[in-house]
Amino acid sequence: MTSSSSPSRKALSKIACNRLQKELSEWQVNPPTGFKHKVTDNLQKWVIEVIGAPGTLYANETYQLQVDFPEHYPMEAPQVIFIPPAPLHPHIYSNGHICLDILYDSWSPAMTVSSVCISLLSMLSSSPTKQRPTDNDRYVKKCKNGRSPKETRWWFHDDKV
Amino acid sequence: MTEEEVAMEMEAVEAVYGEECVILDSYPPHLHLHIMPRTAEISSQQFVEAVVSIQAGSKYPDEPPRISLIESKGLDAQRQKHLMDIVQAKASQLSSSLMLVELCEEAVERLTIMNHPDGDCPLCLYPLFPEDGESKQMPFMKLMSCFHCFHCECIIRWWNWIHTQKEADSKSGDTKHMYRETSDQEGNSGSVDKSMGNCPVCRKVFHAVDIEHVLDLVGAQSSQQDSGLVQGEDKDPLLQSDSEKIRREWFEAILRTQEEKGGLVQPKKNISVVPGMYLPPPPPASSSSGQTQEQGEVEPKEAESETNSSSSTNRRGRGRGRGWGHNVNRRKQNSQDPRKPTMQWVQRS
Repeated sequence: MTSSSSPSRKALSKIACNRLQKELSEWQVNPPTGFKHKVTDNLQKWVIEVIGAPGTLYANETYQLQVDFPEHYPMEAPQVIFIPPAPLHPHIYSNGHICLDILYDSWSPAMTVSSVCISLLSMLSSSPTKQRPTDNDRYVKKCKNGRSPKETRWWFHDDKV
Repeated sequence: MTEEEVAMEMEAVEAVYGEECVILDSYPPHLHLHIMPRTAEISSQQFVEAVVSIQAGSKYPDEPPRISLIESKGLDAQRQKHLMDIVQAKASQLSSSLMLVELCEEAVERLTIMNHPDGDCPLCLYPLFPEDGESKQMPFMKLMSCFHCFHCECIIRWWNWIHTQKEADSKSGDTKHMYRETSDQEGNSGSVDKSMGNCPVCRKVFHAVDIEHVLDLVGAQSSQQDSGLVQGEDKDPLLQSDSEKIRREWFEAILRTQEEKGGLVQPKKNISVVPGMYLPPPPPASSSSGQTQEQGEVEPKEAESETNSSSSTNRRGRGRGRGWGHNVNRRKQNSQDPRKPTMQWVQRS
């Protein structure tokens, strides 16, 4: 993946711009339940508030997601991270990086910010325990240089949570 | 009604629908019917399809059978429900008379009315059919395996993109996905077989040939310029395909003509696009193509001779030359084109 390593440095292509404007206007009409888009003037970086679903371990907790769009979105996946403090979850690292296949290898351009949000909330909701991934410290240390999660070689082993 | 009458009705259903009908139980009647819109003799005009279950109880026909959808293509949840509601209502209306054939006909009739693609292109999110009458209608296509529809430009942009990615990965020796290969074999992301793709919406496998005719269409409109994001060209995906063989033979024929005449031959424009060709990427800044870029008129020759050498002898250091030479050629031919598709795209905003 040649340009995925610096998702936010290059300006959005015309196609990416059109698509994001469309997504944003659809979001405004019909936002996914449990999410709030924080209005900024930057189309390329969205900050989204997530509210834990009622009846789950994260009920009433609020977190913030940061979504950075690469030049060739939606061909390339957006970079999606939690702005620390990130929720305690077996697939979410303390630096906010999220181990979820659709954000990396299984991304498809037919997905949208909205559908990614729904997947994330579902991932949170199905968590049986509030804990960090077992390799959290090691991974977070490796990312100290500001590495993007899109550069990580993710190993998606757990399809239950 | 006697059991015998119902049995005769089932025979009638079987006679009318033949292989499209699977009888699970003859009494009380339970059948699965594969329905297609009536306009569907031409498969390219078919956008919907469904398998409907009709299950009656022992009190049939006094009690109407239960109608449910087993599977469908091209119908979103709303249209699925609509179809079922209508057929179910028809069943209640016909209560106490033998109704199976009529229900089947109703289902086909309704499906025929729904035989049009619905909603937005999943890639750009703009409608497949603009309804405001102002936006320009863009050509769209359907994947035969799942009936998901896309604007032609959008799907081709995506197709070129994933092949560019594959090439970039293999070129840079990127081992990013190496140890995921084994777990990937279910075709989750990049499918291993290059002549196949996965639908961006449902990941259902489709054949590259499904896309090739669209590629031709988009190519014929010379939308190459708008594929600015295409950095490379399909090297592997179709090398083994029939269309690629045809293309090679064609280039070899050109080369022979060229040798006979002792000069350079411009490929005829009307055959400049054949299945297996891909939209030309911008020529790479580096090494092997630098030469071709500067040669202007001579480019076609470069392309042809490289094709020939690469298919008949070894490819050595110029392994990529064939693709690039060919692309430069295509790009040249279309350079005076007024960037029509790009305009189309921009206009929609």
